[in-house]
Amino acid sequence: MTSFFGRFKAGTSPASPASSNLPTKKDPNAPQPTPLEKLLQDAGPIRADGSDKFFGFENFGSTCYCNSIVQCLYYSVPFREQVINFPSRSPPEALERPAQSDLPRLNTDLSPLPNGQNTAKGRNSISSPTTASPRKPVTTPGGTVNAQGQKPEDNKDSPEYKKKMAMAAGPVLTMDYENSKAYGMSESLFTSLKDIFEAVIAHRSRMGVVSPNKFLEILRRENEMFRTPMHQDAHEFLNLLLNEVVENVEQFSKNRITENGHTETDSQALTVTSGAVVPDRSATITHNNIGWVHELFEGTLTSETRCLTCENTSQRDEAFLDLSVDLEQHSSVTSCLRKFSEEEMLCERNKFHCDNCGGLQEAEKRMKIKRLPKILALHLKRFKYTEDLQRLQKLFHRVNYPYYLRLFNTTDDAEDPDRLYELYAVVVHIGGGPYHGHYVSIIKTQDRGWLLFDDEMVEPVDKAYVRNFFGGENVLACAYVLFYQETTEEAMLKEQEAENAAAATQAAERTAEPVPISPTKSNGTPNGHVHPLAYATTPIIEKDDQFASLNHAATAPPVPPTEHNALENTATSIPVLSPRKSNLEAKKDKAEKARAEKEKKAAEKELEKQNRQKLKEAEQRRRENWKKQQDEMKAALEASKLSAKEEAAKRRNEGPTDVHDEKVAEKDKENGFAGKGGLSRFRHTSMSLRHKPKFWPSTKEKSEADAAEHESPATTGAEADHGNGTPDKGEREKSKNRFSLGRKKSTFHL
Amino acid sequence: MFVLPPPPRYPAPGYPGGPGGGPLIETNNTLTHPTGIEHQLVVGEGTYVLRDDLHLATPPPHPSEAPVHNPNPLATTISPPSAGTKLSLVVLAPRQSSYSRLYKLDTTNSTRSQIPPSIQESPHETNSQASDAGSHGANGANGTNGVAAQPPLEGLHAPAFGQGNPLLSVVNGKDSKDPLKRRKPKSNIVKSNSSFVSRVIPHEALSKRLQEHNPNGLYAFANEEHMTKILFTKAHALCHDINQITKGPGHIDIVMGFSTGDIIWYEPMSQKYARINKNGVINASPVSGIRWLPNSENLFLASHMDGSLVVYDKEKEDAPFVAEDNAPAAEGEKDQRLVSLMVKKSVNSTNQKSNPVAFWKVSNSKINAFAFSPDCRHIAVVSEDGSFRIIDFLKENLLHLYMSYYGGMICVCWSPDGRYIVTGGQDDLVSIWSLEESMLVARCQGHNSWVTAVAFDPWRCDERNYRIGSVGEDCRLLLWDFSVGMLHRPRAASVRQRGSITSAANLKMQRSRTESSVTRLRSNSNLTTASVDDEEVVHPVEPRARTAILPPVMAKTVDEHPLCWLDFEEDCIMTSCNNGPVEAISLSMRGELRRRNTRLVLHKLDPPSRRVDPMLIR
Repeated sequence: MTSFFGRFKAGTSPASPASSNLPTKKDPNAPQPTPLEKLLQDAGPIRADGSDKFFGFENFGSTCYCNSIVQCLYYSVPFREQVINFPSRSPPEALERPAQSDLPRLNTDLSPLPNGQNTAKGRNSISSPTTASPRKPVTTPGGTVNAQGQKPEDNKDSPEYKKKMAMAAGPVLTMDYENSKAYGMSESLFTSLKDIFEAVIAHRSRMGVVSPNKFLEILRRENEMFRTPMHQDAHEFLNLLLNEVVENVEQFSKNRITENGHTETDSQALTVTSGAVVPDRSATITHNNIGWVHELFEGTLTSETRCLTCENTSQRDEAFLDLSVDLEQHSSVTSCLRKFSEEEMLCERNKFHCDNCGGLQEAEKRMKIKRLPKILALHLKRFKYTEDLQRLQKLFHRVNYPYYLRLFNTTDDAEDPDRLYELYAVVVHIGGGPYHGHYVSIIKTQDRGWLLFDDEMVEPVDKAYVRNFFGGENVLACAYVLFYQETTEEAMLKEQEAENAAAATQAAERTAEPVPISPTKSNGTPNGHVHPLAYATTPIIEKDDQFASLNHAATAPPVPPTEHNALENTATSIPVLSPRKSNLEAKKDKAEKARAEKEKKAAEKELEKQNRQKLKEAEQRRRENWKKQQDEMKAALEASKLSAKEEAAKRRNEGPTDVHDEKVAEKDKENGFAGKGGLSRFRHTSMSLRHKPKFWPSTKEKSEADAAEHESPATTGAEADHGNGTPDKGEREKSKNRFSLGRKKSTFHL
Repeated sequence: MFVLPPPPRYPAPGYPGGPGGGPLIETNNTLTHPTGIEHQLVVGEGTYVLRDDLHLATPPPHPSEAPVHNPNPLATTISPPSAGTKLSLVVLAPRQSSYSRLYKLDTTNSTRSQIPPSIQESPHETNSQASDAGSHGANGANGTNGVAAQPPLEGLHAPAFGQGNPLLSVVNGKDSKDPLKRRKPKSNIVKSNSSFVSRVIPHEALSKRLQEHNPNGLYAFANEEHMTKILFTKAHALCHDINQITKGPGHIDIVMGFSTGDIIWYEPMSQKYARINKNGVINASPVSGIRWLPNSENLFLASHMDGSLVVYDKEKEDAPFVAEDNAPAAEGEKDQRLVSLMVKKSVNSTNQKSNPVAFWKVSNSKINAFAFSPDCRHIAVVSEDGSFRIIDFLKENLLHLYMSYYGGMICVCWSPDGRYIVTGGQDDLVSIWSLEESMLVARCQGHNSWVTAVAFDPWRCDERNYRIGSVGEDCRLLLWDFSVGMLHRPRAASVRQRGSITSAANLKMQRSRTESSVTRLRSNSNLTTASVDDEEVVHPVEPRARTAILPPVMAKTVDEHPLCWLDFEEDCIMTSCNNGPVEAISLSMRGELRRRNTRLVLHKLDPPSRRVDPMLIR
């Protein structure tokens, strides 16, 4: 089934090397290169480490939780390296094998199938065949085609439109195959992730869209909670994915040992063995070092408990892969972390079982970080369980996060307590509550600055953009998971220097040519400490480029003045990229110079006129928008009320037990009982899969939900399969033509 | 806890999409007096009670510039730079300097004295004559100097800025003698048809009210009415400053910096204004901070967001700026970002016919704030990249460069005696630096979010003890008592150091520590790419284990919105926050200049610990 499905998408764009730089645009509606294309115009040769690949991920109906997290992991340089190099990197020949062979690799290399849908003309409707695919009846592109098909021009800036265009432009990497055998592993989330990474890196295009079919299939097959089409928790998924990867890798090494036991233990296996039995984390990373996930993400927490009766202090270390911190209104990540380590009284129901004096005693407890992880994944607990509502609620607290961070909550004997971290990725949740919404990620790439990854769409953003997601009242989009990676001061200074140099170049250009709208673009910088290779190709803006941008700038609409947080605005100008032309285009540019200049002058005159007109229109539009938004807000509110009611009803049976469980678990945790099961040692922080999922739809609920969905008139037979992407039904009842979460989320912000 | 904002004039639905999108409202200012224990602060000197909670009105947007909200929360459009609300308090009547009382608190009589503090009194005192970050330093000495208005800078220990350049002083001298001849033409802002000014709303009884107003009065929160509102098109003001020398009952010099780089000089009494750096001819990046040069009538310093500091003369015409290559120290330092203070145009330049008077490039990242030292020799500059520089602006060279613990630095101020500098930033810390010892003295930990403003309370500082106040995005006001001898070494100081920020840097640093423990950190670390002269310029980040931590003496949530400004008066503490999206400038009754929708919270010391001044309590 999957291969059948995949074939439709295959070959949408037989990407030739030329088109990877300047993808041929056959759509007359989109003659302008996208910002990402502009960014990548002078990229030079493709790198082998995958640091210059910018692929979107297709959304199969609320799979944005997966897309956003996988993107964050891909752009963690050490993580990506480990994934592609463990157990060994596939040889390039393997990756270029024709797709017809046993192990289909890149099906974009396929010649277009004799299917009219896949010709250039039919590109926009690539998702139409999905109606034939029972697994994917409600993809985002499908929904948007229906809704906006008539007038795509109207809303060119809408994410829906951009996603559609991204899908249309392709190439689409349909990952509906798996190569686990080639890796010598059994099929797992890890192999599937490796498939994706390798395919992306091996592909000739820098841009494109990945359809992670197999990945999701495996995920859903093995994890009941992700089997529903419901909105999922991205942090939960990160958690699961990291644990799965650990497990898969360990499993592999175990297999290797047993295999080798039959034959003869070679030296390589020995390493593996030692790694498996005694995870030696201080060892340098070798390709067959199975502890690499731990090396990257794991830190150690020390919980000190002082019994108030006997004054005896007991210490216990536990590992964490990420930290979940409670939030407070108007705080910062720094303070959340400090609060995390603040002393806590264990009393009343929460007493501490003291081994020294025996029995439950009052005690003081605090948790500090003893070993700092290389990558600090910070989960901001925005979804809080409220007892009176019996459900999770989203906290919109404003929580500032700086670009750089050090941890205050380390133990006195911690190694390198002043370690400097830099923010490299932010997973943003958009939406009013935990049960619906959308995830995107904003990631600092090695040498292309900050990029926004919104499912299929990838777009460069300004560095200051990263700070738009502190949260606050009336702000639906707020940071949910922050990824900080270890860095050094030298790297930081270097980066700032590079940033500054870029800014200075632009400033110089700007002063040289007094243009009303000046294109300044500093969406970040080379990432300091990794790959020196990255610096070599850092692009320098060519003078010629000015003109293209002028054209663009002069006709660009005035920037809507958005309110902004007082302190964080570093950027000063308008988000027009300074476009870079390839050398091929340089000549053409010169010819256009004169014309451009003329146009510029005319445009400048026009601009004043237009602005006036536009301002008037804007006023009008604003009023309309408000009205519209109000209506939609109302609708959404009612919808969520409805769903809330239903959920509450459902929960009434399970709720109390859940709460009880949670409390018991909480107690367990506090008392420091050793947990059961493999994940238990992580429970303090985020490895609490065991407990948390209960708040997320369980199978039982899901089947109820499914049943309910069948009653709804809007739903059709399309979703007979349980893997369907369906929004929650309240939403569905309200708006008949909203078929996917991707669509739904936009209703809040139109 | 606080009163709700007054009802909007026209209902505007809340905006779920836009960041911080509040409804746009035009209201009248409202003044409330909430009482109750939750509005009290208890500190050593007494109890502060909340006296006035003033909600300043926001004018509606001009019809032609209705804000366009982008409902897409992921919209990648760059929003224009903005800044928090800052207020300047002006007392028109010459007042006794707050600082002149600094070291003899009990002997001060309460009558206002016009006698300038004599220079011989004490070395500290002379240091503290001019105003610091707080702009209310209505110093008697300075005031008389200003009135005398010869080269306006005599009588101070610090030489005047640009004194070495005869060109500059000649121009200045002429100006003051022959004001009509050389001055830049000014136009009336009310009658102006400039496209830059959108509208001006003067108060009907402006001049009458001004005359009636008691020049000594500082707080008359009742009948709060704006004197003039000016709305600008195209740009919005980010910062302003009031000249403390030239101000008088009939004259206030205000400069305002705008998001387009433009600067406007404005005199509210005569409604005259002039535009400087028009259309960003000298520097097109937004103005993040602006201050009159201490003791100067016409010169002011503006920090631009591209990291340059520019001295302008309000009486000079603009000229397109080209960096002067012959400027000293410009060579060889260009690529050494850290150490460099690139003098692109020196004050000693031979070309002083037009603006800028001087142009320094400090770094390429945004300058978040700067402050003049009380002795008028140094500027402390903090930037978004986390750097903190002390610059001798008379000699035009960089003295020190420090880094924050992490994250950008947001605010800076000098102690009244000029010995300490306090910064606040995105590491949630208030850091105290010593100028003499050129080192970090202490980190003050207590804020739960970024620190947006710091200020010394000059009335509660003496030679050894300093009162510092800070506000932050956590909506809290924190007070710190810093006493030089009382610092606690961190408990971890004794613990062995295992690897640090960068082990190499740390090792070196440790060595340098032992070599010259307290006085001066000598050459260090790989951070120092180069150093000017023999002097230590670049200082490494101090590890946490070696820095004293200072806890606050008082912490209090005083507002429901992130705070962005605070100031001390003798008997009160003022804080402000901003929660409105609209930019406008308004000059209200007491010459208090503000932007945006602001709540001003005033905590009065009650009972006043030292002195009851009938003029101040009404």
